[in-house]
Amino acid sequence: MATNRSGAAQRPNGAPQTKVCQFKLVLLGESAVGKSSLVLRFVKGQFHEYQESTIGAAFLTQTVCLDDITVKFEIWDTAGQERYHSLAPMYYRGAQAAIVVYDITNQDTFGRAKNWVKELQRQASPSIVIALAGNKSDLAAKRMVEFEEAQAYADENGLLFMETSAKTAMNVNDIFLAIANKLPKSESGGGGGGGGAGAGARRLNDGDAPRASSCCK
Amino acid sequence: MNYEETKSVVQEKFLSSERVTAFLCDAKVLHPEWVKKDRLLCIVEYGDEKAVFCLFTSSYPPKSFTDLSIEIVLPIDNTFKCEIDNKPSDPEAVLYLNLQSRNNKFKFEIQMTPRVDNFVDDLFRGIEAVSKVPTQPEFVWLKKYHGKDEDDIITQFSVIPRSGVAHAQNSAPVAIRESLIKRKMYDKELEYTFTKKFTVFCGTWNVNDKSPVIPLEGWLSVDREPPDIYAVGFQELDLSKETFLFDQTFREDEWYNAVINYVDRRAKYVKLEKVRLVGMLLIVLIKQKYISHVRNVVCDTVGTGIMGKMGNKGGVSIRFDLHNTSMCFVNSHLAAHVEEYERRNQDFRDICNRTRFLQPNQQAKAIKDHDQIYWIGDLNYRITDLDPNTVKQLIKDNNFEKILEWDQLKQQHKNNNVFAGYTEGPITFKPTYKYDPGTDNWDSSEKNRAPAWCDRIFWKGEAISQLAYRSHPALNISDHKPVSATFSSSIKVIDEEKYRKVYEDVIKQLDKLENELIPQVKVDLTEIDFGTVKYLELQVRTITIKNIGKLPVEFEFIKKLDETSFCKEWLIVEPYKKCICADESCEIQLKVLINKTSACKINAGTDKLYDILVLHLYGGKDIFITVTGTYQRSCFGCSIEVLVNLNKPIKDVPVGKLIELENKRDQCVSNQSTYSIPKEIWFLVDHIYLHGLKEPNLFEQPGLHSEVLQIRDWLDSGSVDPIPGSIHSVAEALLLLLESTADPIIPYNLQSICLKASANYLQCKQIVMELPEFRKNVFLYLCEFLQEALQHSAENGLDAKTLSTLFGEIFLRDNPNQIQEPQSRINKQVIDKKKAQFVHHFLVNDHSDLIFTR
Repeated sequence: MATNRSGAAQRPNGAPQTKVCQFKLVLLGESAVGKSSLVLRFVKGQFHEYQESTIGAAFLTQTVCLDDITVKFEIWDTAGQERYHSLAPMYYRGAQAAIVVYDITNQDTFGRAKNWVKELQRQASPSIVIALAGNKSDLAAKRMVEFEEAQAYADENGLLFMETSAKTAMNVNDIFLAIANKLPKSESGGGGGGGGAGAGARRLNDGDAPRASSCCK
Repeated sequence: MNYEETKSVVQEKFLSSERVTAFLCDAKVLHPEWVKKDRLLCIVEYGDEKAVFCLFTSSYPPKSFTDLSIEIVLPIDNTFKCEIDNKPSDPEAVLYLNLQSRNNKFKFEIQMTPRVDNFVDDLFRGIEAVSKVPTQPEFVWLKKYHGKDEDDIITQFSVIPRSGVAHAQNSAPVAIRESLIKRKMYDKELEYTFTKKFTVFCGTWNVNDKSPVIPLEGWLSVDREPPDIYAVGFQELDLSKETFLFDQTFREDEWYNAVINYVDRRAKYVKLEKVRLVGMLLIVLIKQKYISHVRNVVCDTVGTGIMGKMGNKGGVSIRFDLHNTSMCFVNSHLAAHVEEYERRNQDFRDICNRTRFLQPNQQAKAIKDHDQIYWIGDLNYRITDLDPNTVKQLIKDNNFEKILEWDQLKQQHKNNNVFAGYTEGPITFKPTYKYDPGTDNWDSSEKNRAPAWCDRIFWKGEAISQLAYRSHPALNISDHKPVSATFSSSIKVIDEEKYRKVYEDVIKQLDKLENELIPQVKVDLTEIDFGTVKYLELQVRTITIKNIGKLPVEFEFIKKLDETSFCKEWLIVEPYKKCICADESCEIQLKVLINKTSACKINAGTDKLYDILVLHLYGGKDIFITVTGTYQRSCFGCSIEVLVNLNKPIKDVPVGKLIELENKRDQCVSNQSTYSIPKEIWFLVDHIYLHGLKEPNLFEQPGLHSEVLQIRDWLDSGSVDPIPGSIHSVAEALLLLLESTADPIIPYNLQSICLKASANYLQCKQIVMELPEFRKNVFLYLCEFLQEALQHSAENGLDAKTLSTLFGEIFLRDNPNQIQEPQSRINKQVIDKKKAQFVHHFLVNDHSDLIFTR
């Protein structure tokens, strides 16, 4: 006769949601593509037409609730200016997720985004989840980067991809949610081997969940 | 490996603040499920608190702390007990140590060694210390050692610094956040729960060592509707010695199966948990359809019998959460004997105090920490001060109220001596004790005691109403009759949708709060341009950091990845780390000073006046501060080989050309366009030669810094004006110039040969002969000049010894890049003497032969 060892797949009615995973997420991309605006929209639901340029790496946290788990993002919004490029590894090293942002009205920023993706693939944790965000989708009239082109590139490189608009909020929550869903949440060191500090989430509290299950996704 | 070595290995398993004060090898844990393998016992002290640890070691003796794993942690608090026995068969060699703390009991077998005395002494010192302090120690430091595996993972993660930057401290607020969420959700419980009635059947029976030979449905299946939950408790399941000593009995299965067989057949039940201590058994069943809503099932047992801890008396408990309501069931058998009601009160308190439900990653719960508590059992309270025959008569008259006035439990309960806060329903059934087994007749032994309601059911908690409270006299195999109660209890059920909404709101609120509390500062300048920066001329800029957040901010300039310092060597930042209170500001001075080391690097193009500083706010963001400047090239810090190539003032030489020359200096050879010595050295020496040879204290009196800077500019700009400044300033400029060259006049690799040869003039001469061309020129030129200066020692006060010491240090400069062994002062003196000796030869001997070999 089985006692209370309900499976992880179906959360029993009334089981308080206490499993929290924390992830470090870094935003990268050319300056003025809207990294800070995306974060501001996601975290505070705000948008400033004239967002100040980030000189450094801004830090904010935001939690998203998935069906069976709560994901807390520690967001590092980095300065996009080229001269700060050499400092970026401080922020993407040890990150479990990255959003590489470009501006759909500026082809150069897309090229720059590809370089960031390359750099992440080489230097970041092998299990890092990378999302590509084509921001400023509200300015579709001035579009210089075709959706299909970016989508094809993302598919080739196994990236999540969405066109976003911090101004209209389009796809902003969605892209963070998509990342949260893709992140490995087992404590025994996420996917992709490596086994560095960055692998897998830090599981903070699992008083209620059954111990045996390896992944709650 | 000796005792001390092993001890230090054990110590490494703990933090340095947690001191291992005593330890024992060769301890064996006597536990039926554990391998009887050697373990280590140690006492660890943290502040005033002590705890006993039992460690398993994978290699014996342990070679490293990684061989050790912590199996048992027993805090020495006021529940801690220690008993020592000798092994009867081998009293001299083996000792039994019984340790108990917070209901965890362990027996260890220990080999008698001289160390045992120390260990036991230390143990008793710990116990004594605890008994003296009025407050119960908290043992917060032990938390990390409880609930092994999971905690280990968490600790491991938290010690991995995030990206090597000092960001790790963010993990602490997260832990706090978790408990905050729980707390907030608890406060808002009403917003997302509705109540649902569950019927709870509680039954208790002291079976007096009998097997279940009769059907039980007359006890367990009497309600109109099948109850949702069964909690069935037995006492005196088995009175045999074996059960008492070895805690094993076949009766457990017998009675368990009987319960399963005779619960209401109209519903399907599953076992939620069962727990037994000696003769006390508690079984909790729940309708199968509800089992998926049950979580966190934990049980515990407390013995209060012989010596206050044996399991012949005491309580067994099961706790769990059903939906969002926490429930606790206790089955207890309290002390016997008519007069011992105080002892029974004490047993109740002991069970309350000592029952601890341990859950991974959570604080242990006590019985009182539950929404609903159902307490059943043979509580053993009697009727006193009433003649047994009167009691029996009153029972016959169905006048229970009169007798209950004399019921010890009613009296003690009324006075809050026991079951304070609990409720008992009205008793409308005959006393349940003591009968002649197999009959409904009162005990016929000569004791002739008054019948009593030993078997009772209490509850505590809101939203519980008792539907029935009765005994079941037909079940007569024991000297007790079984008792049961049925309750209708409101269970808080979570409305998933509402819960989710409330949860998300709470999270949102906390995110907002957390983001608001992230340190915020305003830095007035993030780009600092020092403009033109000149050699050896200190420049200072100030930036102001203002704390515009609500909390104090601690900032620190942190290292970038793979760098050894947070800023370049030519930059000084003060303070680089500080705490700023809310609304206050802090001024930070940034100082640029190009000395010879940095000048050489800048001249060679390996460094430039550009740096980005990372100003990190603890728990918050990083701010980049860019520092730039334009270095005005100077002859100071250039190589001799570069200077001889410059036939115009350095100011007029393009920077690219300088860098190129600097990088090709090894290939520099003399040609028509090169000077034999740098013109800057010639200018300075010539000036002293013409104007200062008779100057008293030449080379000994320092110059003025401002004049030295003017001389620097004069040299770098190729001014046609006379050299500014006093002779002493010119002399100092000369020394500084010679000292600043990228390579010393005598190359680093020849230094040790020079020192070895220092006593031998011929050998020294040989070395000088082999110096790179321009450096040999400078060396000989200067020596020639110094000899000239010595001609005027009467006026200038110079002597060969002083000069050779001074110039020995310059010609034979120590390599700053070579990691020097810390030289003893004597050693340094010897080396300095040899350097001076080397130079001395050339100040007192005629070496014109060397010059002529050119």
